[in-house]
This record gives sequence, C-alpha cells and structure tokens, in this order.
Amino acid sequence: MIRTENVVKIFTGRGAEVRAVDGVTTTVDKGEVVVVIGPSGSGKSTFIRCVNGLESFDSGHVYIDGVDIADRKTNINKIRAEVGMVFQQFNLFPHRTVLENLTLAQRKVRKRKKSAADEKARMLLRKVGIAEKESEYPSRLSGGQQQRVAIARALAMDPKVMLFDEPTSALDPEMVGEVLDVMKQLAREGMTMMVVTHEMGFAREVADRVLFMDMGKIVEEGTPEHFFTAPREERTQLFLKQVL
Amino acid sequence: MKVAQKLWPWQLLLAAILIVMAAGIYGSVKRIDYEWRWYRVPQYFLYKAEDPIKISDDGIVEKITPAGDTAKVTVNLVDGSRKVLEVEADTIRVEQGEELFIGDTVGYVATWRLGPLLTGLVTTMWISAAASVLGLAIGLIAGLMKISRNYTVSMLAAIYVEIIRGTPLLVQIFIAYFFIGTVFNLDRNVAGIGALALFAGAYVAEIVRAGIQSIPKGQMEAARSLGMSLPQAMTEIILPQALKRILPPLSGQFISLIKDSSLVSVIAITDLTKSGREIITSTFATFEIWLVVAAMYLIVTSLLSQFVFYLERRLAISD
Repeated sequence: MIRTENVVKIFTGRGAEVRAVDGVTTTVDKGEVVVVIGPSGSGKSTFIRCVNGLESFDSGHVYIDGVDIADRKTNINKIRAEVGMVFQQFNLFPHRTVLENLTLAQRKVRKRKKSAADEKARMLLRKVGIAEKESEYPSRLSGGQQQRVAIARALAMDPKVMLFDEPTSALDPEMVGEVLDVMKQLAREGMTMMVVTHEMGFAREVADRVLFMDMGKIVEEGTPEHFFTAPREERTQLFLKQVL
Repeated sequence: MKVAQKLWPWQLLLAAILIVMAAGIYGSVKRIDYEWRWYRVPQYFLYKAEDPIKISDDGIVEKITPAGDTAKVTVNLVDGSRKVLEVEADTIRVEQGEELFIGDTVGYVATWRLGPLLTGLVTTMWISAAASVLGLAIGLIAGLMKISRNYTVSMLAAIYVEIIRGTPLLVQIFIAYFFIGTVFNLDRNVAGIGALALFAGAYVAEIVRAGIQSIPKGQMEAARSLGMSLPQAMTEIILPQALKRILPPLSGQFISLIKDSSLVSVIAITDLTKSGREIITSTFATFEIWLVVAAMYLIVTSLLSQFVFYLERRLAISD
C-alpha cells in the first residue's frame, strides 16, 4: 500500500545541514498498522509528512498504491484524497462547524452531493461518539473531541490509508484514551494505518509492526513482542529504558 | 486587594477640559472679530431653486386661475392653439389680456435641490466607494502575489507596494491625471479613482499578506492533506479566516481612503472639499464652511466604523 525507497530530507539553515530523514526504506501493507516511535528530533514526523507529500523530500521515492508521488506527473491532490492525515494540533477549520469540517472536502474534492456528504459525516460523527456536536464550532470542543472530529474528517474522504502524526501529544492526559479508543477501533476494522506516537501502550497493543527511528534512520523494525521484550539494538534498548 | 474606581470624577474632569478648550477657542475667535454667519450655511445643503417658465410662441393671456400656492395661466397662441402653464402664485409676471412675445417669462416654478455640500458629499462617497472596491481587488491580488513562491511574481508585487508607499498620494494623483491621464486621454474621475485605488491597493496588499501569514500553517496542511488544490484551500480555508482577521485594519484603511479622497479636489473633481472651497470663494464664510465640511467627513467615517464594529461582532460567532 505504502512503499518508501531511500527517502532523504535535508534541512539547511545557517550553513548547517540536517539530514532529518536519511534514507528510509519501508513498506506498509494493506490492513497493516505500523507504529513509528523514536526520540524527539529523530525525523519520524518529517518522515510521515513525506509520505503524503506535505514535506517535499530531496531524493528517494514514495509509492502510494503503486503511484510514485515524487514523479512530477503525479497529481498529488488525487493521491492525498486517498491518504487521510491526522495532525498533532488537530487543525480543524475554525470558521466552519463540525459538520462542515467533515463535508467540505467531500463536496469540493470528491464532488459528492450535499445530502450524501451530510449523511456520511453524521455516520462518522456517530462512530467517533460526538454526533450531538455537529453544529458547534471547533473552538467549543475539548481537545479530545476536536481530535476525534479530525479523525472523522479524514475518514470522510474514504481514504485507503490513514497517517497519524502524534495524534495524542497535544492532549490533556485524561483525553488521550478517547482518541486512542477510536484509533484502536479503526485498526480492528482493518484500516491501513501509519502512526507516529509516544504512546507505547498503543504501540504494544495495536501495532502489527514497530519502527524505531533515530537520527533520520530506521534503527530497528519488528513485531511489538520482539520490540518491547527483546530489542536487538543498543540505541533501542536505551530509548525503551527511558520511556518505559 | 480590590480597587473600586469611581468613574464620575474622571467624567467631570473630561467635561471640564473640553469646556476650557472650547472657551479658549471661543475667546480667541472673539479677539479677531470674526463675524459668524451660520444662517448662510443651510442653503448649501438644500435650496429652493426658481426656474422661469417661458412662453414658446407669441400669444395673449386669456385667463389666470389661482389654485392654492400655484396658479394656472392660460395663453392663446397665435397659431390658434391654447396653452396652460402652471407657476407659483406669487411669482406671476403677467396680467389677463396682456400680449406676450416668444420667450417672455410667465412666472416661476420652485423646486428643492441638493446644495453643493450634499452633491459634494455624494461625489466623495461614490469616488471613495469605487476606489475601495477597486483597491480591495488590487490589494487582494497584490497580497497573494507577494506571498507567491515565484520570484518574478512576488517581486512585481513588492515593487508596486514599495513605489506606492514611498511616494505622496498628492503626487500620485498629479501623475495619474497630468501624465497618465494625458497619455491615455483619461477622464479626471477615472484618473482620480485610479490613483486612489492604486494607493489603497498597496496598503491593502500588505494587510492581506499579513492576514494570510497569520493563519497557522496547519490550516493549509490540513486542507491540502484532504486533497484540496492550492486555490481551493486558499478560497475555502485560508482567505475566509484571514479576511475575518484583517477586517479591523482593512476598514481603517477604507476610512482613511474617504479622508484621502479630499485630495482629488486638486484635479478639479468637485468633491466635498472642493465644494467647500467653492462656497467660501462666494461667501467668505471660511470658518463655518470648513467646520461643517469637517463634521460631514466625521459623520461618514464614524458611521462606517460603527458598521464595521457591528460586522465584527456578527463574525465573532465561531470564536
């Protein structure tokens, strides 16, 4: 579903060169849940943003469903419509109601009729448990509710893959659970997911595979059992000792 | 510690200061022995114009029938036809049986007309309105160009903004009328509105640019991640939020534009300021007219800012 080949992203600032993503090659199969963990500044967020082209990368390839997004001829908007993304800061549209947040892209990008878009949106709001807030503006919602709306907004496009960029990092601790529950339910339903997170519990429970990134490289890759019980690399062991 | 501040002593102080200042102005005007003639001002708002009613051919007045304030004058013309003319009763210049010649005045008809102060205000308003609409369009385009990632496009906008903001509006109006207007044979109104619109556009461009850049980057990313194109994301997500944010500075700019429009009087557009100057040349009521003109600008601008205040509250529902 997703295949990346040697993705390199270099940031240059004040003469210094930072290889934020340094030759990452991996795959995410259909229905698979891949969790990316790693210390701050390890390039995991930059990497996931490269996957839907929000961050342009310097070299390498990202194939979504076999289409290379690095190819200039690729219509990136068409690809992005198939790849849902959930951000750390929710990024709901504050000037639109919750329902409009869910229907806007359906109507503008998928060209759905208003009735069809509304129906889809209400179904998803029920699914994430905030059907009663459909006519509120996002600023009236708690962080957890906003993030659930953001997930519903991405799902409204019927994406083939969902990307989560630290979806619980900006939340108050008591709201983390409600968002993770929605994500777990999605995983159970067989959604292909790539998740950057610091929630080790989520990684252990839901992930099919865990990627550990540091200094822009994948240091270790494996099943949660392998990863959390018998990590091979020293860097991974050190990291796990600090977070667990 | 709770400090309950009483308001009334300060209100009293404010009133006292204002009274002292007014008294000071009154006193100084008294000393220069200026004769105030406020009674001459109202006629420049509205006045009763008397238009002469003239006879179209030679004839004889057959009869005069009064009807309230007006009177009907029936005239037998030489070609045998009969003509009835209606004039104000107290302005009749003819008698029954009088012989009239072509072009003679039978009487007058009075109608209420807008005086130069009001026609000037209307001119000021429509010139400002036209320049605002144009200026907003120019500013929106130039603002978007300025944030473009294309070097040529952004530099073009930057040069435009620099040139306009670095030169006086008065000089720009002169150039627009005497140089560009001469070359392209432009009407003075076109030159005036064009100069004002280009001037406002440069400032609007900066406001628009700042407004767009004040919207968090995540908004654009969220819109693009849903598959929206750049223009779609701009028009649906970024601009609506930015416009709401820039409404206060934008309205300030347009209120400034109403005031700046007084400068077009130098290219002989009869706006409120030019009307005031024309009235003064015929009345010498310098103090009264300039005070009235200032008050009229003030009324228009404060009404506009009240309207914007109302708009801001309406738009605040999603905050």
